[in-house]
Amino acid sequence: MAARDNHGVGSPWKDGFKVIGRALPKEDGLAKATGQAIYADDIQLPGMLHAKILRSPHAHARIVSIDTSRALALEGVHAVITGESMPIRYGVIPWTPDENALAVDKVRFIGDEVAAVAAVDEDTANEALRLIEVEYEPLHAYLDPREALERSEPQIHEGKKAGNVSKHVGLDFGPVDENLEKAEVRVEGDYVFHGSTHAPIEPHCAVAQHAADGLLTVWSSTQITHYVHRALARVLELPESRIRVIQPCLGGAFGGKSDPFALEFCVAKLAMITGRPVKMLWTREEVFYAHRGRHPMQMHYVTGADRDGRVQAVDAKILIDGGSYSSFGLVTTYYSGQLLTGPYDFPAYRFDSTRVFTNKPPCGPKRGHGSVQPRFAFEVQFDQLAEKVGVDPIEIRRRNFQGDYTETVNGQRITSNGFLACLDQVEEASDWKKRRGKLPRGRGLGVAGSMYISGTNYAVYPNKMPQAGVQLKVDRSGMVMVFTGGNDIGQGSNSVVRYIVAEELGLRPEDVRVKAADTDLCPVDLGAYSSRVTFMVGNATIDACRKLRKKITQAVAQEWEIPQARVFMGLGEVFDLEDREKLISTREAFHLAEEHHDTLGSTGSYNTPTLGGDYRGGTIGASPAYSFTAHVVEATVDEETGRITVENCWIAHDCGRALNPMLVAGQMEGSAYMGLAEALLEDHRVNRFGLHAGPSLLDYRLPTAVDTPELHALIVESLDPEGPYGAKEAGEGPLHPSIPAISNAVFDAVGIRLTELPFTPGKVLKALEEQKAEKQASPGNPSEQPIGEKA
Amino acid sequence: MKSFELVMPKTLDEAIAALPESGQPTERVRVLAGGQDLLGEMKESLVTPERVVNLKTVPGIEGHEPTAEGGLRIGALTRLIDLERDEGLQGSHPMLVEAAAAVATPQIRSMGTLGGNLCQRPRCFYYRNPHSPCLKKGGTECFSYGGLNKYNAILGGGPSYIVHPSDVAPALVSYDAVFTLLGPAGEREVPADSFFTLPSSGEVTRENVLAANEIVTAVTLPAGREAWKATYLKVRERDSFDFALSAVALALKMNGDLIEQARLTLGGVAPKPWRCTSTEELLVGRKIDEETCRLAGEDALRMAEPLEQNGYKVPMTQGLIRRALQALAS
Amino acid sequence: MRVLHLCVNGDRLEVAAPPHWTLLEVLRYKLGLTGSKQGCDKGDCGACTVLVDGKPVLACLTLAALSEGREITTIEGLMPAHRQAGGEGADPVQEAFDRCGALQCGFCQPGMMLSARALLNDNPTPSPAEIKHALSGNLCRCTGYTQIVQAVELCVAESTSKKPRSPAWAPGVNPWSRAEPASGGQD
Repeated sequence: MAARDNHGVGSPWKDGFKVIGRALPKEDGLAKATGQAIYADDIQLPGMLHAKILRSPHAHARIVSIDTSRALALEGVHAVITGESMPIRYGVIPWTPDENALAVDKVRFIGDEVAAVAAVDEDTANEALRLIEVEYEPLHAYLDPREALERSEPQIHEGKKAGNVSKHVGLDFGPVDENLEKAEVRVEGDYVFHGSTHAPIEPHCAVAQHAADGLLTVWSSTQITHYVHRALARVLELPESRIRVIQPCLGGAFGGKSDPFALEFCVAKLAMITGRPVKMLWTREEVFYAHRGRHPMQMHYVTGADRDGRVQAVDAKILIDGGSYSSFGLVTTYYSGQLLTGPYDFPAYRFDSTRVFTNKPPCGPKRGHGSVQPRFAFEVQFDQLAEKVGVDPIEIRRRNFQGDYTETVNGQRITSNGFLACLDQVEEASDWKKRRGKLPRGRGLGVAGSMYISGTNYAVYPNKMPQAGVQLKVDRSGMVMVFTGGNDIGQGSNSVVRYIVAEELGLRPEDVRVKAADTDLCPVDLGAYSSRVTFMVGNATIDACRKLRKKITQAVAQEWEIPQARVFMGLGEVFDLEDREKLISTREAFHLAEEHHDTLGSTGSYNTPTLGGDYRGGTIGASPAYSFTAHVVEATVDEETGRITVENCWIAHDCGRALNPMLVAGQMEGSAYMGLAEALLEDHRVNRFGLHAGPSLLDYRLPTAVDTPELHALIVESLDPEGPYGAKEAGEGPLHPSIPAISNAVFDAVGIRLTELPFTPGKVLKALEEQKAEKQASPGNPSEQPIGEKA
Repeated sequence: MKSFELVMPKTLDEAIAALPESGQPTERVRVLAGGQDLLGEMKESLVTPERVVNLKTVPGIEGHEPTAEGGLRIGALTRLIDLERDEGLQGSHPMLVEAAAAVATPQIRSMGTLGGNLCQRPRCFYYRNPHSPCLKKGGTECFSYGGLNKYNAILGGGPSYIVHPSDVAPALVSYDAVFTLLGPAGEREVPADSFFTLPSSGEVTRENVLAANEIVTAVTLPAGREAWKATYLKVRERDSFDFALSAVALALKMNGDLIEQARLTLGGVAPKPWRCTSTEELLVGRKIDEETCRLAGEDALRMAEPLEQNGYKVPMTQGLIRRALQALAS
Repeated sequence: MRVLHLCVNGDRLEVAAPPHWTLLEVLRYKLGLTGSKQGCDKGDCGACTVLVDGKPVLACLTLAALSEGREITTIEGLMPAHRQAGGEGADPVQEAFDRCGALQCGFCQPGMMLSARALLNDNPTPSPAEIKHALSGNLCRCTGYTQIVQAVELCVAESTSKKPRSPAWAPGVNPWSRAEPASGGQD
């Protein structure tokens, strides 16, 4: 059906794009600029109570007893709930439901939720938390993933088959051992990726209201309205039809709001008990506990190549620290291997990834889910390979390019691929040929590449229904209202929907309004994750528009007694292509169509084609289209203080087609910024007791305007046949190369290889000291002679 | 934040009268100047005062004026932003201006005061986390020792290993400033270097000699420092918000190419602004050359005893000392 | 409870609030001025930045009781003040942030725009370095600051009738020009 149609890369009307491709402002820009946009914590309902959560002070403990009587007796307290109030387990991935809204029997990290209170105000709720008495029996706490791998008692999740292993994936493709054996050049190394978190500036917040007729409405700062809807129904044991979930304006997410969270269940339950609206706003500290951020990974890579640097085999072994719950961990474990097989071609590949549970805040999907860490290791290893072979680092990447319209070693279908153009652009913009390897000591250039998915055909729960749905309602005023389940989390997906509708129906953008992410009003969309929204919702929007367009042009053609193909719609007007005198406003055309047909509207949808390798897990990481990126970073190393300063980051990204180049650039710049931040500053970790080491935006260091380099967004358009007008993703791919590109630039600058993140002054000074000691130990020894080409 | 009584004194005497009398529990009253540190402490329940005494309503402790001796007296309530933007001070006391400008963020400098910056509490995350009962909070153990100590002290540590958070303090120590403290018995003058205490010598839960019934009212810089060359250099991971990983406040009185007098105080590396007296002596009579830079760095860090994760601060601080000397040589 | 006399966005208001409430709490939860955002509540992010007597300060670290007698400007006050001064639309800073794509999630931006407004009031022609410095107390997690700095630069350029620096993705042109392009994009 229409759901799987490709709509072509061209403009819908013959005279080219009028809206698409322009740097138009966003649909909600001025509302946000003037303070009028309503975020979750801006919602105030009459009689609203405020809820707070009691959290575990132990990293791993059994709950012996909970006494809430003193808290309940405090004046101003309206309800207190514990794990017993909502004992049904859930998990965003239906195969791994290991979370409870509030802990039942056990707590698994410092910050795990134990009880919740609703009171007249936050001060009273906090006071009540202090009156809840919990008796714990502490258990051995796992803080080191290696220990969790090797030791199975006690289990963090009792009843799991394999001790404390959360998920293991081992896949191999092609003759790995044979090719490594034959390889003329081998690079082998260990790479350590630390934890980092999303840190959206808006803390999580939810508000619930339970109406007398039983309808439960939950407003939540979520990026997955649909999954929250399903999880609430499951845990609260309500029919989905009695629940409405609304995402208000959202203050950033980056993957950090893509699980159902305790606060949504708690406000709902407390509203049902008290009969009053209930709000819960998490403190910044609580956002750090909720986490779901980047998984720390310990990675071992072996790459074998021929003497020209063409990769023959890659062998990876990865230990993933999952923290205390599964979250998206099943997918993370697959992604840690499955997404490495581009933009380079290699005939043999093996990965063995193990995710273990530890007693730390749970990890999950952060921008570039699962693939940022292996990409770091691999792109640094690529640089090491280039050094060994004696080839320029950009040249070796070109040499290994996989091409377009091809298949990867693990069976993923590649369509358009603009990676070579990306390399060309960053090479030119950075003046690479003149400057790389030739800058004064202390300053250097580094390159890295990557690929990422534009949505995935792995639906979180198995079903054959569309992954994205859109509904259009035509108003007699000449305005079109669009309803989409897609979550605009600041990336601008509602604006993209507006541009597409305006383009397709020949409207001025301001005559299209978008209502999104309200489960009562909008058709289902799976949510803002996997870089799927522009791609899938965009395709669904085109689908809905073309159905509607047919009705309108048919009505006009009939009225004018001309063939339908002669009816043209553009920027608020409808006219006869062969007789421009015949002209009416779009508003009038809507009236005609309504007279001819009926109340006007349409629906559209999108579903992915069947994709993926024919093996268990082969669909995970399969995407209808992949984006490609290359970065060059220019960095300075201060050898006295050990500080790395990144001056410039050139970001070339193949986004298929830039539906709005300004918004694409914003995604590219924001991604690169976030990658640079985790490379240089951010470190999400716990201390030896399992307590978060600095759950604040002072101790967890987000770069400021003066810490962020000049970011140069260079857009590459490969026009992909699968995407809306050829578009692919832009919001996650451009994060990946920033991190290895810094390491590679530091090597160019001072000759040290940074393989352990983050790159702090301490690590830099230590590496420089080791370099000095080595030089002193063997002063006359020339560095290893590259083989193959001469450098 | 817990509720409290907010006192708005009209005079310094009224302010002093609102402070606890000798022998009374001290933690029940807190003085608020800019409030940029205090409110954070209260929100974390690190302090839960029953009374907060607001100094902003007290006239006469803002701004600066020359003293009879030719020095400069700066009111403790002077906002950091006003120091930062004072063109006269930029010419006469650049090290103080640089230090004030290196504090936190523009917003915090808009509200934060000179006195508040000197009396702010440490930023060690064990101390700041209400869930860790550390020595600084009256507990029994300094968790940074044997724990996460990347940001902690390499000099003067033990039994607590916090670093003093102030940027302005090292600059004032290197200017030989004197602090005016007002209490029920009247004023007393304390040299900047004696104001700050080490955990091993003073009370471990405090960082200075200020009594609970005293207020810092002014800072006086001695005469003649306009003729010195001075600079404040700070290394931090972010160029905004962050406290120093290491900082150097260096003041030199030059005689031609030769150093006639020197003051060197380190920030971010010790529980108090760390005055390097022997290095100052070493510098006297020397030219600023490579040898001098090396010797000064070695001498200043001679006593450093890094913890497991903060050894990097030694070469970093030596690098900063070199840079400061070179900056003043040109 | 304490009765406070506040001057917010030019209005003299009387509001009762507990003595320990911050200016941010009173603005948001007593006066309904929810444009000022709470990102950390500890002075670590700058999302709650408001102008007090024209200077950017953190509303979360300011007691409401100590804001009496001062002129407080929140994000909601910019457009009305601009209109009162005879302008059209929103404040030029707000318009520029919108036109440059600087508002992604938008949560940090009320504070960011007020910092920018305070800068431009003090110094109508700041350099890019001065812009970054003035905004260094406001964290943004979405943009990488590029489009924010471009927005402030656009304000400066338009107020001095100069051509703004082009972004890397549109070399040589001014993609934020208010003039409608003659034709659409290419096919």
